[in-house]
Amino acid sequence: METQLVLEKWAGVISALTIGANKEDGGSRANIVRIGGQGSLPLLFKEGSIPNRPVIAFEIWDTPPQDWPDDLTSAYGKVLNDPFAWADKCVNELKAQLLCVRMQGAHPDFGNKDPGEAANFISALLTRVKVPLIIIGSGDDSKDNLILPACSEAAKNERCLIGCAVQDNYKTLVASVLADGHHIIAESPIDINIAKQLNILISDMGLSLERIVINPTIGALGYGLEYAYSIMERARLAALSGDKTLASPFICFVGQETWRTKEAKAGYEQGVIWEIITATSLIQSGADLLVMRHPAAVEKVAGYIDSLFNK
Amino acid sequence: MQKFKVTFLPDNKSVLAEKDKTILSAAISAGVYINSVCGGDGVCGRCKVILKKGQVNEQPNGIISEVERKNNIYLACLTNIHSDLEVEIPENSRLNFDRLTPMELGGRLGNLYSEAEDIQPVGPKLEEGLFKHSPFATKLYLELPAPTLNDSISDLERIYRALRGYEDFPVIQTGLFNIRQLGELLRDSEWKVTLTLGKRNDTVEIVLVESGDTTNKNFGLCFDIGTTTISGQLVDLNSKKILGTKATYNQQATFGNDVITRIVYAGQSDGLEKLHEAVCSTMNQMILELIQENNVDLNDVNCIVCSGNTTMIHLLLSVDPAHIRKEPYVPTANFLPVLRAAEAGININPRGLLSCVPGISSYVGGDITAGVLSSGIYQKDELCMLIDIGTNGEIVLGNKDFLVACAASAGPAFEGSGVTSGMRASSGAIQNIDIDKTDFSVKYSTIGNKKPRGICGSGYIDLLSSMLESGIIDKGGKIKAVGKRIRQTDTGREFVVCFKEEADSLSDIVINEADIENLKRSKAAIYSASAILVKHMGLSFTDIYKIFIAGGFGTYLDIDKAVRIGLLPDLARSKFVFIGNSALAGASQILLSNQAMAMADTLASKITYFELSVDPGYMDEYSQALFFPHTDLTKFPSVRF
Repeated sequence: METQLVLEKWAGVISALTIGANKEDGGSRANIVRIGGQGSLPLLFKEGSIPNRPVIAFEIWDTPPQDWPDDLTSAYGKVLNDPFAWADKCVNELKAQLLCVRMQGAHPDFGNKDPGEAANFISALLTRVKVPLIIIGSGDDSKDNLILPACSEAAKNERCLIGCAVQDNYKTLVASVLADGHHIIAESPIDINIAKQLNILISDMGLSLERIVINPTIGALGYGLEYAYSIMERARLAALSGDKTLASPFICFVGQETWRTKEAKAGYEQGVIWEIITATSLIQSGADLLVMRHPAAVEKVAGYIDSLFNK
Repeated sequence: MQKFKVTFLPDNKSVLAEKDKTILSAAISAGVYINSVCGGDGVCGRCKVILKKGQVNEQPNGIISEVERKNNIYLACLTNIHSDLEVEIPENSRLNFDRLTPMELGGRLGNLYSEAEDIQPVGPKLEEGLFKHSPFATKLYLELPAPTLNDSISDLERIYRALRGYEDFPVIQTGLFNIRQLGELLRDSEWKVTLTLGKRNDTVEIVLVESGDTTNKNFGLCFDIGTTTISGQLVDLNSKKILGTKATYNQQATFGNDVITRIVYAGQSDGLEKLHEAVCSTMNQMILELIQENNVDLNDVNCIVCSGNTTMIHLLLSVDPAHIRKEPYVPTANFLPVLRAAEAGININPRGLLSCVPGISSYVGGDITAGVLSSGIYQKDELCMLIDIGTNGEIVLGNKDFLVACAASAGPAFEGSGVTSGMRASSGAIQNIDIDKTDFSVKYSTIGNKKPRGICGSGYIDLLSSMLESGIIDKGGKIKAVGKRIRQTDTGREFVVCFKEEADSLSDIVINEADIENLKRSKAAIYSASAILVKHMGLSFTDIYKIFIAGGFGTYLDIDKAVRIGLLPDLARSKFVFIGNSALAGASQILLSNQAMAMADTLASKITYFELSVDPGYMDEYSQALFFPHTDLTKFPSVRF
């Protein structure tokens, strides 16, 4: 007897979003990246359409990283000292579809770059590589309120994804993103209510819900992964049940969280395994964008995504 | 130990205090009142005083600003005496003992939503049977036949026999005091006497025997002992007429603003006595004023009914409330027998009776029983809800078939405490606010039309709603606009409601982001408790026919704005009834009708207490409510900002 699948019917759909603008869209990107658009829970292909795969972005910094463990830096070598060479390596050698650049050099403690320098850097990077960009601030709220608007303007019309807006500091970024035609990352501290509230606050300013990507804040394996997993799952269930204010794709900073664990720092390539497990787990809870660091981990996870989607 | 003389202005009261004692403790010993919400812990910043003369040592604190320092402003609780001092207590730091104006009383107490008619009117004395529809204390005039050799039963038996001629009821006691004077009194009065009969738990006591007919002088009192406000009424028990109503502040506020702080204080040495003394002296003062203003003799006040939350009733009777605070939160008594008022320290007729409205649990007290009684929700066919907005928010859901209640710790923000410019709903409190959407100019009105001194609960509801409406704050409660009334301080952004030049205040009347956060938590606690209670019963808000809102708001509560900030559920505004002090209304019904008293007993045992903390959904519901109006906007379809 044939087995009958019990299928759930969903009322909602996750918003679909395009990162990067090519010539037709008024930008200069060679490729664009689409995420979101799901009408079902992750990987339940029979329950609804899943038009886009999870996408991996390589994380690069505008300044040489200082706290990265040897296992990680050795994978890149000398290019870490030159952000442009680093970007080249990711795109040309490692075949990155998307780069996530962290403006760490603007942080008051790590170079304190001024808005002009930050904007010049983004302009130069956009000329050097032709993949779409995710631009992340330094993590210092007041500094980011100065440099991110400059970066946003420098990348005008390139339809970047810029972040992160948080509940206590979102207005400046929303205004820039709105003016320059980008999308925004809304970060909430593993809290479905705050995720939702921030989406409402952002859309109240006129940036449509369809232009928001949620950063739910994740923890690496052993560091709260299960909390992030269940928060993402709950948000997705609410979104698919029709809650538009939660129907945004997820971005997960897998590399950042993995490489701060003591297991990753201990060496023996544990970090790579840690990054892979964290990423693959989050894919199952609905991650749409994974920002990763180690090329070997990226390769494995990309293969995993292929195997899931080439059914 | 070296002692210094500390003089308090403008009272001009002096006291000798030991070196290194705080100004606050000196003020307490001098009998001078200084606001102290935190009970002297140095966190509330309400006990600001101006040092006129003398040397002090100030403990470090982050409350006094640079400007205030220059103006010699100190916190009384953190400033130690180092020499003879002269200290001025500014208006803001005083307890305003002004009686509420008649207009305020009208708002607070006059528009009590009361269905007194539903309870059988209290008939004059005996026509309807003695206690079925009659007051707590009843007077009965008797003309006894004088004893003869053929009719030689004792004086006391003679009274009992005459009583039985009206109705056979169990006289439990007469009191040695009465019996001792009986022989003389009956003969002197030529066997014409008036008995004061009091009901004591299904039996009757002859409270007093007086000579002649004094039935026209029978008065009673009802009180609502709130954590913050004490309200009381003097009632003519014959005519049911309310002769006078007063409301004043509970002097216990000196020892902390919420029940938990007071329970903790009661545990300290002498703490319980001080708290007991504070509530008694507040009430005795009110009683004195009530009888004097109405030309009533204290001896003709024969009974008193008190409603109040469980802790307040414990403190009134000087019963240790310690276990209310400790798991599993059990009070010493919910149902208290009728006592002699004098035993509790309340001054009425020395043999007068005191009844406390029975409570339901440690955190749902007799005030709620009285509220249920006076709102009449226990008689309704339709589903009703009673929300008492106070420091401890209480919610009752039900109708004639069932009643379930829960309590939510809402915090004192809507009572004007724990917020920068907050004050209680009394003279000078801003209660009504409108903000211009373009230039953010503020229009307001105050209680008593006085210069503004602060903002009360209904003012905060208006303020939040207007700030949302005009885009000054976002739905998360953060100040996002810019303008001359918005400024950055060390502790975050604030909005100036009223500059000090136009206010009766030492500083500008402001609301800052921390205040908004406090108010947001309060409203979230009330809303989510209501939501969980409704959900727990398998119902939804739309099933509710009427919602009665009770609480210590001033003359005014804008229901629509309370919905818009998410304090109350988004239902048709016509479903809400603001009933003011429902506890006092209930107490007054109990005073006038023993039927009501019996109903209160029934209600208190009938109401099911639902403990919110055991519901796993409460925290989630609460977090969702921490947004204006609510994280789930579909729950507030009529609200758009």
